[in-house]
Amino acid sequence: MRLLTHNMLACNIKGVTNGYPLRLEAEKWVEKEVNFNADFLRSVFPKIEWPALVGAVRALGCHDLLPQDAPNPSALDSDDDFLRRFHRALLQLHVEEGALVCPETGRRFPISKGIPNMLLHEDEV
Amino acid sequence: MSAQFHTSQVASLVLRRAPFLRRRISVEGKRRLLFRPMAAAAAAASGDGLKKGIAEFYDESSGIWENIWGDHMHHGFYEADSSATVAGHRAAQVRMVEEALSFAGVSDDPLKKPMRIVDVGCGIGGSSRYLAKKYGAQVQGITLSPVQAKRAQDLTMAEELADKVSFQVADALEQPFPDGQFNLVWSMESGEHMPDKEKFVRELARVAAPGGIIIIVTWCHRDLLPSEEELKPDEIKLLNKICNAYYLPKWCSAADYVHIAGSLLLQDIKRADWSDNVAPFWPAVIKSALTWGGLTSLLRSGWKTIKGALVMPLMINGYKKGLIKFTIITCRKPE
Repeated sequence: MRLLTHNMLACNIKGVTNGYPLRLEAEKWVEKEVNFNADFLRSVFPKIEWPALVGAVRALGCHDLLPQDAPNPSALDSDDDFLRRFHRALLQLHVEEGALVCPETGRRFPISKGIPNMLLHEDEV
Repeated sequence: MSAQFHTSQVASLVLRRAPFLRRRISVEGKRRLLFRPMAAAAAAASGDGLKKGIAEFYDESSGIWENIWGDHMHHGFYEADSSATVAGHRAAQVRMVEEALSFAGVSDDPLKKPMRIVDVGCGIGGSSRYLAKKYGAQVQGITLSPVQAKRAQDLTMAEELADKVSFQVADALEQPFPDGQFNLVWSMESGEHMPDKEKFVRELARVAAPGGIIIIVTWCHRDLLPSEEELKPDEIKLLNKICNAYYLPKWCSAADYVHIAGSLLLQDIKRADWSDNVAPFWPAVIKSALTWGGLTSLLRSGWKTIKGALVMPLMINGYKKGLIKFTIITCRKPE
């Protein structure tokens, strides 16, 4: 599971109002090379929930990879170093095993072989 | 499948499960509901049991399908009265995707094309990857089958689309996304597995962004005549056999889908019957199953897959009788 995906996932258990962002617990993660595409990064940047991304990156122990606050969008045009870091964080870090945890209920959604399992139980719908 | 409901039971079932329809009922008063609620009958075939059945069916059959038919797990689109070959199948399956996009009016314009797409019931990601490549979009695929999700992910990495496409094991009726995420909500032949059609469409609408397009391509039964409360007994019997083999809950009609979309205040609702354009597909699938490769693969797979294969002639039968309709429904979420 890439952190781009993590940025999009939420807990939809019935009655939960604060199911985003999911807390990331990574037992096993790897870095996989992905083609760098600056245009793609620029187009996706406005849609990213920055605090969620920073939280996820830090959950993986990469505390210095991204700044705490989202930079000005102009950084995407002028700051190649930032663009590369953003690329790494968003697309190259893969959580293979671990869990996504609902911030409100503590419910754990397992990540197995890189795939999150977001299925709810009968009593959660 | 053949349960008869009294009007009061019908009304209470619908009210409990469908708050959106509650408004409609109070406006329409005692007018007979055109939409047959599936809630009670489907309850028996829904829930964890159905989801597990679906997941296991695809866990088991996905590989053999992929071997013969490739990574698109849906019908091909053919000229009416033509014949289909395995050799031409991929082009036909791609054509199905293109025809659906065209019917829905999805724009190719760089400023208007969809950039965030959800593939609901994504199989091994054939549509997801195709749409990602076509639009340069970000695509999320969801499936109940962990085997399919893994396979989808492996194929996606192999095609170097891992920056654009990702997969989750998730339930289409409880999508793990916040509201309004996607410009294009894509359901290609997954609707038939949904036990609660109203909830299914409601979730599609929920995750659609304002102005986003929803495309549903699915198997339906024929519309009921105004005089009919339900399908004829022999029709119900035929569908039951198919449901049993393919882990399908109760079917609905295209008119039911249109009704649901309307009740959710979705706009630009369009429908079409493409049954003639998929008619060549099942005979071709059967032919492929009867080849040496097909038969040995089937025998090596499990009973679920074999049962699915044995039921294929019933699909042809259903189409020929005008009972089964291959349907596209598209609509747009209001801005």
